[in-house]
Amino acid sequence: MAGFVGMIARSMSFLEVSDLRKSFVSPDGGESLVVDVGNFSLAKGEFCGMRGESGSGKTTFLHLLAGILGSDEGSVVLDGTEVSKLNEAARDHLRASAIGYVFQSFNLLQGFTCLENIMLAMSFAGKVDEARAKELLDRVGLSHRLAHYPRQLSIGQQQRVALARALANHPKLVLADEPTGNLDPGNARKALALLRELCSDAGSALLLVSHDENVIGGFEENLDWSDLNRAFAKAMND
Amino acid sequence: MLCSGPWVILFLAIRGLRQYAFSTAVASLAIALAGGLFLGTWKIKEEARNAFSRSSGGYDAVLGARGSKLQLVLNGLFHLEASTGNLSWEQYELIRDTRGVSEAYPIAVGDNYHGFRLVGTLSEMFEKHEWREDRKYLVQSGGRLFTDNAKEALVGAFVARKLGLKVGDKFHPYHGLTFKEEAKHKDLYVVVGILEATGTPSDKVIWIPIKGIQLMDGHNPETATDVSAVLLNLKGSAGFMLDMKYNKQGNVATLAWPVAGTLASFFERLVWFQRVLEIIAYLVAFVAACVILAILRNAMNERRREIAILRSLGARRATVTAVALAQAGLITLLGIVGAVFAYLGIGFLAASVVREQTGVLLEPFTYDPSFFYVPIGMLAVGLLSGLLPALQAYRSDVAKNLVQQS
Repeated sequence: MAGFVGMIARSMSFLEVSDLRKSFVSPDGGESLVVDVGNFSLAKGEFCGMRGESGSGKTTFLHLLAGILGSDEGSVVLDGTEVSKLNEAARDHLRASAIGYVFQSFNLLQGFTCLENIMLAMSFAGKVDEARAKELLDRVGLSHRLAHYPRQLSIGQQQRVALARALANHPKLVLADEPTGNLDPGNARKALALLRELCSDAGSALLLVSHDENVIGGFEENLDWSDLNRAFAKAMND
Repeated sequence: MLCSGPWVILFLAIRGLRQYAFSTAVASLAIALAGGLFLGTWKIKEEARNAFSRSSGGYDAVLGARGSKLQLVLNGLFHLEASTGNLSWEQYELIRDTRGVSEAYPIAVGDNYHGFRLVGTLSEMFEKHEWREDRKYLVQSGGRLFTDNAKEALVGAFVARKLGLKVGDKFHPYHGLTFKEEAKHKDLYVVVGILEATGTPSDKVIWIPIKGIQLMDGHNPETATDVSAVLLNLKGSAGFMLDMKYNKQGNVATLAWPVAGTLASFFERLVWFQRVLEIIAYLVAFVAACVILAILRNAMNERRREIAILRSLGARRATVTAVALAQAGLITLLGIVGAVFAYLGIGFLAASVVREQTGVLLEPFTYDPSFFYVPIGMLAVGLLSGLLPALQAYRSDVAKNLVQQS
């Protein structure tokens, strides 16, 4: 049944990846293929967990989806927009307005308060809404920490700010890169539940990558990165 | 609070500088020093030239004993330096009666009162002479001019204020141009008037009748009719004629004419000093630019991750580049504000010292084009030094700096 639902969802997919390839120049001067994905899609509001080992190119794949990196070949289509054909400024705008990103190390701006971290993310999308920023922080249980700096928060609280920031601009897609990697199991469970809840409320699709089976196992729709990334499979076989 | 658009750039720039507050303060201070020196060097140089020209007391020429023209002008009009020697009373009368000489006032120097010079002259100078166009000397209320054959004194405004002299006060002059307790003359002078301030060296002297100097107790009776110099105003081509007569054909007296030309030669001699100050200012500006560069470059190195995070949130390359440039601009603007204060200090100090030493009134705060182009130049240098860090921000590799590859 789950497979059928997945098929239906993909037929209405708003994120479609085809023949996406990305290489880097390796230290010895040769070219190293890191990402080689034939097809991948995600439907509107769909949650997907992707299991993969460290160093297997998952982050690069997310960077390609977010337009942080440009691809060598292939295409990424997000809600009808061919991301890989956009110029850099347009990709920046798309990232600001349609994509939320959650990092393993949170990547909060240390010189800015919790509220400012969220409002800065809003400012790049051109719509600063202080009330919404406060509401988001309230939602993640940090309404009493608006003016606190990241260093004044616990690890778990920092991740919650990062989650609130990722949802700041009503993103269509949230990319989460090892979002629980730096958290203890208790905080990891809470953060994950909160992330799913926030995305669900916002109607955002979620693609979460992790090496942790416990995290990925909680997703109805999950897959192995090694199955998806031909470059990794090839490297392993070599 | 935080808004979108260009305000984000300003917000990020200010926050960035706040994180490096000490370095920012050091860079701003260096810029302030450089700017203050630039303004001080250029404006005060110009103002000193103008002020000395304004303060020449309304005379075209000075006639004195054979010697340096500059010394004649400094001694006769600015009451500085020693006299080049004496002229006889007959020489004074001769030039006074020469055609083309509209005004001729003899002066005699050689005594002081607590370091302020006593200058002997004729009272008619105060009645007739205009020290600036349409400006004659005025005596403060309750006073009057001295009588030419009495032991009376007319005190310059600056001296009166410094020594607290007032009408009716009596004093004994001291021999020589510098004050020595043991060189007191027996003659007793009474203050009969205080001159209104003119902003010229006249304010810094005590005027007495010329006979007073000539006949002062203890002075050589053989030189009792000599004068130290004659202050002149000339008409038509008298200057050329007298220049020929005294300077080129004669060998007894020297005519410092025109006064402005002599003063110009004086300032020419100070060009090296201005050059040194300018070079120092350039060096300080260079150091300030290097400090900005170093601060922003270090900041960029330390902030690679922050830039990457901003980019990952959707900030454009142009935004992070503009932030680096805005930081350079802000540091420079702080420096410019500091430079204004530094210049206020330098200007005030220079004006006080010059006033104290020469009586010449500098006006260092009147408008000068340098007030416009020095800050513009500073801003340009500041932004230029921010270019490299801005380029660094522009080229920052987001993916590499964002997070470890997994």
